[in-house]
Amino acid sequence: MTTQLTGHCPECDAELTFNDVIEGEIVVCSDCGVDLEVISLEPFELALAPMEEEDWGE
Amino acid sequence: MRDPLALLPGLLAYYSPTGEEEQAVSFLAESMGAMGFEVWCDEAGNVIGSRGSGNREILLLGHIDTVSGMIPVRWEGDVIYGRGAVDAKGPLACFVSAGAAARLTPDWRITVIGAVGEEGDSRGAKHVCQTHPAPKMVVIGEPSGWDHLTLGYKGSYWFRYRLSQPMVHTAANGASACETAVDFWNRLSRVVAQWNEGKERLFDQLTPTLRSIQMFPDDYSEIVEMRVGMRLPPKLDQPALEALLDGVMETGERFVEDYLPAYRAEKNTPLVRAFLSAIRKAGGQPAFSLKTGTSDMNLVGPFWNCPIVAYGPGDSSLDHTPYEHLRISEYLTSVSVLTQALEIIMNTNV
Repeated sequence: MTTQLTGHCPECDAELTFNDVIEGEIVVCSDCGVDLEVISLEPFELALAPMEEEDWGE
Repeated sequence: MRDPLALLPGLLAYYSPTGEEEQAVSFLAESMGAMGFEVWCDEAGNVIGSRGSGNREILLLGHIDTVSGMIPVRWEGDVIYGRGAVDAKGPLACFVSAGAAARLTPDWRITVIGAVGEEGDSRGAKHVCQTHPAPKMVVIGEPSGWDHLTLGYKGSYWFRYRLSQPMVHTAANGASACETAVDFWNRLSRVVAQWNEGKERLFDQLTPTLRSIQMFPDDYSEIVEMRVGMRLPPKLDQPALEALLDGVMETGERFVEDYLPAYRAEKNTPLVRAFLSAIRKAGGQPAFSLKTGTSDMNLVGPFWNCPIVAYGPGDSSLDHTPYEHLRISEYLTSVSVLTQALEIIMNTNV
């Protein structure tokens, strides 16, 4: 059975609906294209996905 | 049973530059045994500890060797100094402590490896690739900072450029071998700058460095040799790189010393999800890192092709410096984060 969850993009406020997502999953806002992280399922909550930073290091 | 606070200074106290890891390996083997691991050493000298008997394996692959340069172990408040505190005995001690603390489930087992030779030719990790069955997922032990995950490392390509030509009189009209070699380096720099145009991130750029230049004259000829290192982005494979170099070299020979392709891990994996959740639960704002150096991820990532990240406490800008140190509070937080991430993985149907 498909579980459908609806939330808002924290970047552009578009209403977004996803099927069968899991906590920690990286999804893409279909409106503005930004990467989002599913940080909670109950309640359904989206945050901007972690930034990619560059770092010197072995 | 050793606690995390006893394990780290103990490990740091056994100075273990590449090729001299035996005493640190013995200490870690004894410590892991006391902490509930089944422990053995392989033919390469890697120390391996495993807990659990499930079919699914999480491999925590750290390294026990360090660069050379002894730093006496000392405490200053929340900070411990010592060679390898950051690169990478802090991350390795974190692996052992979290691997011992995580509550196992019947399907899983946790294996911690302290590999030898990572700061040299990675002989420990190469041996692991050849002898260890592919795990379900891998964490590489390198300093990322407790709230960061490292997703990728640039590759590297090392070569010697060698040019020999008959001796010319300094009053004669002709380029010396040294001048021709310098011309090669300048052309390479220009071509690389063009290749890098439009690529804003260092991770996506090709970055050459001239490591040495030497002249070997005899009575009849002059020989010049340059050693060049290149840090490689993910989208440049060896044939494409060598075609670029062939186009720049008008004369001379190239001797390849080492090649390691770049590797960039997927971020939508159960492993990454578990870490993101664990970092948030510890009060952190997770972030991803892309490193301009290399690690054993470059070797095992493409070999096993399973979910992989690099993780560990510490500031990697201290790698290889005389100032290596680690905040104990960060170390302990990273142990909690990794323990939690391991438990999330083992309790998720992946």
